[in-house]
Amino acid sequence: MTSPSQTGVVEKTAPAGTESEAPAGLAPRQLMWRRFTRDRTGVISACVVVFFFAVAVLAPVIAWLYGKDPYTTYGLDRPELLDPLTGYPMKPNGGIDGEFWFGIEPKLGRDVLTQLVYGIRTSLLIGLAATLLSTLTGIVIGVVAGYAGGRTDYFLGRLIDLLLSFPQQLFFVAFMPVVTALFVSPQKETPTYFRVTALVMVLWLLGWMQLARLLRGQVLSLREREFVEAARVTGASPWRIVRKELLPNLVTPILVQSTLMLPNFVTAEAALSFLGVGVVEPTPDWGRMFAKGANFYEGDITYMFFPGIAMVVFVVAFNLLGDSVRDAMDPKTTR
Amino acid sequence: MTTMMSKNSRRARTYAVALAAGALVLAGCSSGGGGSDPKDSNEPQMESQDITIGTAADSTGPAKDLAGAKKGGTVTVLQRDAFEHLDPGQIYVSDELIMQTLYNRTLTNYQFDDKTGKAKLVGDLATNTGKSSDGGRTWTYTLKDGLKYEDGSPITSRDVRQAVERLYAPYQTNGPTYLQQWLSGEGQKYRKALPDGPYKGKHLPKSVLDTPDDKTIVFHFDQPRAEVPFAVAMPNISAVPPSKDTKEKYDKAPLASGPYKIQNFKPGKGIQFVKNDHWDPKTDSIRHQYVDKFDVSFGHQWVDSTRRLQANKGADRNGMTWTNAVDPSQISTVLKDKEAMSRSLTETQPYVDVVSINTDRVKNKKVREAIAWAFPSGQYLQQFGGPKGGEIGGGLVGPTLKGYDPSFDPFQKKKYPGGNAKKAKQLLKEAGEENYELVYAYGNGDTHQDASVVVEQALERAGFKVQKKEIDQSTYYTQIGKVKNKFDLYRSSWGADWPSASTVVPPVYGGENVYDDSSNYSHLNVPSLNKEIGKVTRVSDLNQATSQWIKLSEKILTDEIPAVPTFYNRLFTLWGSGIGGVKFNSVYGAVDPTATFIK
Repeated sequence: MTSPSQTGVVEKTAPAGTESEAPAGLAPRQLMWRRFTRDRTGVISACVVVFFFAVAVLAPVIAWLYGKDPYTTYGLDRPELLDPLTGYPMKPNGGIDGEFWFGIEPKLGRDVLTQLVYGIRTSLLIGLAATLLSTLTGIVIGVVAGYAGGRTDYFLGRLIDLLLSFPQQLFFVAFMPVVTALFVSPQKETPTYFRVTALVMVLWLLGWMQLARLLRGQVLSLREREFVEAARVTGASPWRIVRKELLPNLVTPILVQSTLMLPNFVTAEAALSFLGVGVVEPTPDWGRMFAKGANFYEGDITYMFFPGIAMVVFVVAFNLLGDSVRDAMDPKTTR
Repeated sequence: MTTMMSKNSRRARTYAVALAAGALVLAGCSSGGGGSDPKDSNEPQMESQDITIGTAADSTGPAKDLAGAKKGGTVTVLQRDAFEHLDPGQIYVSDELIMQTLYNRTLTNYQFDDKTGKAKLVGDLATNTGKSSDGGRTWTYTLKDGLKYEDGSPITSRDVRQAVERLYAPYQTNGPTYLQQWLSGEGQKYRKALPDGPYKGKHLPKSVLDTPDDKTIVFHFDQPRAEVPFAVAMPNISAVPPSKDTKEKYDKAPLASGPYKIQNFKPGKGIQFVKNDHWDPKTDSIRHQYVDKFDVSFGHQWVDSTRRLQANKGADRNGMTWTNAVDPSQISTVLKDKEAMSRSLTETQPYVDVVSINTDRVKNKKVREAIAWAFPSGQYLQQFGGPKGGEIGGGLVGPTLKGYDPSFDPFQKKKYPGGNAKKAKQLLKEAGEENYELVYAYGNGDTHQDASVVVEQALERAGFKVQKKEIDQSTYYTQIGKVKNKFDLYRSSWGADWPSASTVVPPVYGGENVYDDSSNYSHLNVPSLNKEIGKVTRVSDLNQATSQWIKLSEKILTDEIPAVPTFYNRLFTLWGSGIGGVKFNSVYGAVDPTATFIK
């Protein structure tokens, strides 16, 4: 990621400096990029995150190259793979061998590698959609509340309070059957896209408040600053002030918050599936792999291993990336 | 009879496996995988169990002392589901059935041999299993001498009459209804004979139920009833003193007649049983009074009870469970533990798991036949614990029944564990119903989700289109129990109340039992079969009747296919090393506590 030509020209004393101290000819964005590429943790984290997204996007390709799919019950179709008495893989270490690289799932005998790859795809898709929606909502409501002030601010603030006090998972457990009964015929299977949409909706509905509250505070202080006042005096429309004066100053918290939001949503989705109210069989799901791993660990710890490690790596990488992005954008803050 | 799962379903075993598998576990480690040695598991022999009818001598106490049995000590009992009913009249789920054997005595009861485990029906309150006359229309029972309640008052024939008559009262809704129906009419008709029970001074006429003296009870039926000795072994044919009958309140504090009495019942938490000093061992040929106290606590998921009993530490050394099985996820760990295996049992239970086909919706018999051929019973059972969870079922009645034929397997479930898709496809083609759409309903728990994967796969292989509907576990039986439900396939389970198919075929496949919350989940109502059920009911010879019931159950399956038999349940369970005298109650499908002692 780091281009050698850039690392070569880095000035030694710069880190604590402000933009005015930067070498001439470098835009703030370039400066930020330079700071970021100097942060080794950040770069590695970014690589890991990109890798996860690549895996998610390329899941069908991986499955095709590998020659397995996440739906076939290999262990049930081929009795030599699963122990008929316990339902655990016959081979040690969860049935890892040349054919099944990550082993096979106990009881149903599906391939763990493709399950994981497709599961990551499901979880990331849901997490990403929820993050995008929540970020947009957070920006709109936060900025409006902060900039408009007065009664608008008051009501939006109470709305945020109300939603913040909602127990998210309980809400979902109660909410899902009601929605299903409303929209799905009792004779039809609940379609997967419907479940996914509902999951995204709930994560979104209960996920934007922190960002909105943060932005409201930021806008509140920015609003009184001279450059905003100057813009107002020169007759700029509120829309222009928000767009040109406020938003560019809010990029840092937005970016940092949303990079922290994504792993939160992914783990929240996993938690919901763990509780059995998220995505159901046979759609592969990361969180449900944990639920199963928790049941199987006494007989087959290996099964828990791969989704567990993947999740830890993903969450840590994303959080480190968030930190690095913040450091790069706002070097004045110290950790 | 049924195992207890949810408030709404008293009749059928539901989510035993699922709930347990859904429990979250936290810490611990083990070596991964590895095949287990099949020799480690001793599957029960698939012999149908022969219940012998005991003589008067067998019914005379005291029960033979166990070698090495000592008195004293407290046994901790870990149970998953809380007991809801203590009133013997209201008990019909397996964990409560086994619990009442400690404090409740019935006219007859089952004695289990300490060594062979064989069941024998003997007199409990009565001196023998009953004397029939008038070609089986009249049954006479004589009470033993020296029977007393926990308060020291004697048990008389009027108390037995009270126990029977109170079953006619409207609040008695949960217990079995065999005897009442035989005495006063089918279905719910019997209640008209005594609409308020015995509470307003009315009694059943002497031509139906007579108590000529303090010790004698006579039942008069309008047709020969060969199975009365079994029917009066149900917990509700006991003794309740009229002066102490508190109606609904009796459910919280019944009067004990057995070796233990109730102390400290905390609904949802636990219950303790302590010695009943007025119980005379000389009157009881079934029960012992070795232990001072049974301390039962509820809310122990299978994972929890398995781990504690396997670890065998502290108070758990004197621990046992009556109905909690080893959790399917821990089977391999327990099998590898030789020491723990030496204090375990694996026994076939009377419960048969079937997947009912809603015959109101799937009217085409060819389609039902195709479902039966396509269903992957073997793979399905694998999700419920494999050979330790049950045995693949060929027919609608289980191996614990007299006359059970192990070779009866019309849809070759044993040969094709994943279903015979080819045959099913062909049948669908013949019916002209290719791509037939089936709504498969299941309770939304881990195990059932897994099972739905194999079911969907197998049915789609056979050319069906499957719509899976998940149902909240707590309302599962209410939802599939509606006659107008919108599902085609759903799992249900039923156990024989005593080892005769007469307690399976009429309640589950009899046409008069199609109503909401009935156990006839297939809604089967075929006039010719109803007639045949009526015919077999009138057979007076017990042995002949049993074999005719089995034949009828086979005919129902091959002719009508109201359900796909999937598996016969098994109980694989553990107890602590400090406990002796553990045996299996094969009639209730649970661990029998009546001979338990602390070593």
